[in-house]
Amino acid sequence: MSADTIDRNNTGLMTGMLVVGAVIAIVTFAIVAFALVTQGHAAFNMDANVAWGLPIATYVYFALMSSGLTLVAALAMVFGFKQYYPLIKRAIWLAIITLVAGLAVLAMELGHTFRMLWAIPLNLQIESAMFWMGVFYLLDLIFMAWKFQMMERGDWTSRLSRQVGVASFIAVLLAAGTLALVFGMMSMRPFWFDPTLPVWFYATAAFSGVAALVFFTYLSYGMNRSRMPEGLRMDLEGPLPKLFLALAGITLVLFLSRLTTGLYANAPEVNVVWSDYLLASGWFHFAMWGGILLPFVLLLGRGMRNAPGVQMLAAILVLVGIFIERIYFVVGGQVVPLFKGTWERGLVEYAPSSTEWVLTVMGIALVFALYGLGERLFNLSDSPMVTAGDEAASGRQATASS
Amino acid sequence: MAKWGMVIDLDKCTGCQACTTACGMENDTLPGENWQDVLFYTEGEYPSGQMKWLPRPCMQCEDPSCVHVCPTRATYKDPDAGGIVFIDWDKCIGCKYCMIACPYGVRFFADEAPLVEPDLKEIFPGSGGQLWDPPGQSPDQDRKRGIGVQPKGVVSKCTFCYHRVSKAPEGVPDLDEDDPELVDYVPACVRTCPPKARFFGDLDNPESNVNKLIANKNGIRLKDHTGNRPQVCYLGAGAGIPAFQPKS
Repeated sequence: MSADTIDRNNTGLMTGMLVVGAVIAIVTFAIVAFALVTQGHAAFNMDANVAWGLPIATYVYFALMSSGLTLVAALAMVFGFKQYYPLIKRAIWLAIITLVAGLAVLAMELGHTFRMLWAIPLNLQIESAMFWMGVFYLLDLIFMAWKFQMMERGDWTSRLSRQVGVASFIAVLLAAGTLALVFGMMSMRPFWFDPTLPVWFYATAAFSGVAALVFFTYLSYGMNRSRMPEGLRMDLEGPLPKLFLALAGITLVLFLSRLTTGLYANAPEVNVVWSDYLLASGWFHFAMWGGILLPFVLLLGRGMRNAPGVQMLAAILVLVGIFIERIYFVVGGQVVPLFKGTWERGLVEYAPSSTEWVLTVMGIALVFALYGLGERLFNLSDSPMVTAGDEAASGRQATASS
Repeated sequence: MAKWGMVIDLDKCTGCQACTTACGMENDTLPGENWQDVLFYTEGEYPSGQMKWLPRPCMQCEDPSCVHVCPTRATYKDPDAGGIVFIDWDKCIGCKYCMIACPYGVRFFADEAPLVEPDLKEIFPGSGGQLWDPPGQSPDQDRKRGIGVQPKGVVSKCTFCYHRVSKAPEGVPDLDEDDPELVDYVPACVRTCPPKARFFGDLDNPESNVNKLIANKNGIRLKDHTGNRPQVCYLGAGAGIPAFQPKS
């Protein structure tokens, strides 16, 4: 199916989103850049106690959302669940742009961004998880862009296209895994120290990835499923909400496990973080109950699960809830001072500066702008099959045309 | 080559912060960005509560976690320079992963909101990439070892005053501030310590005073369970960190 055969009544909205998103992204970039030039990193509220704050949490949020979107796309690209084909082009585009947004935020946070471009490849510190995270996310970005370009050419199932899909899946597993280990290998930070942290990152990545996919798909079609191509509509009426529910359940179980062990632990660097920092915050409670439990409950019943409004509500709750969780996760590993001294009798206090929030808005605006651009330039609902019913025939056609 | 180590006798330390001041002046650090600090804390509760203090330089660990995590090898341990851990300011990208990985909290990203007012970065604005231009700036500058006034966007830390120590005669077992021949090579914090609670010498030399002190007075390393194996040892009572308890 080519781009001009699909009902694209939504292009006005997408153009507006592109323009407004781009304007906000440019303005917020200018504000942050001006603050960095005039104040240096004093524009941020991080210090020796909390070295990683909101910008890193925003990067983790977007990077994992990107990983989650690729994992969802892998259901069709790698594991042969063809009913997900109508979703994967949009998923891959979203994965590319969320990763770009995350990297843009990270670039503004670093002390010397351009130095990174030569200092990392020339020094090859292979002992550093951060080095590998960079390598794997770069590979992930390359493979995703390659795969997207192949899909754009109509090559969905050729041998090379499948191999690129598998490569992007492996790259994303390694990328999200090493991102988890950037935190999880820090034995001096007990709140993070966890060899199974990649599992939590994979689950929440996929959870937020599906939420982003649901959110942006409905946004593209103005919440109107009747405008969607049949394959996409069928996905949103069955497989995708079921996957969303399953991921909500997995995230809930893993979260309860983390919560229980966190509160049970004697080590104050773990226990006190949960009791006096995470659970003492109304925002974190919103993330727990509103961002994980409520979406799970909303999606439990089949009728509710398939209602567009409920899916959209669940998606928004998850997108907000997981964002809050990322902030509390990143900061939580640092709030217990390494030394209980006169100046740090209690937990370290950290609140993001206005510049940090503006930087986060820049990342969000960038995603909206690039999504609008993607909808303008590409048919993100494209699929190798016309409907789910004749997917096999269309799959063969797609292969033949490639 | 020597393996430089420091011994701090907590039974002698009075917590006067002369070491902190001397370090700041020697290394042109911004107020509050103390490469060497004395932390005060309490342990226990009334009637057995204790007031304690702990001088805290960089531990120059034998197996430093900061070195392992640095994605650009900007932070490195130099066995040819007494095993001191340095930061190459020309390679540091300011990712602050080393600050996360250091169990001792002795790394600083001074390009931040001022810890002490007034903001000296505004009063003495920096030039040539320096965060600030302090009056009477030390002539010792070595960006490859993180010595001098810190540039913008990088991490800094204690260097055991390598710009002094490196000029010491080869093979000396100790750098003792009471020895007129060696006093100029002693790290600023050791040289200035009024109760002589600090000692500096070669941990690889069996004849060094620091080794004798560690052996005879049961020297211990801080947070030894981390496996970082500091080259700084503490003597005397109170060489430990009480577990964190939030204030009630």
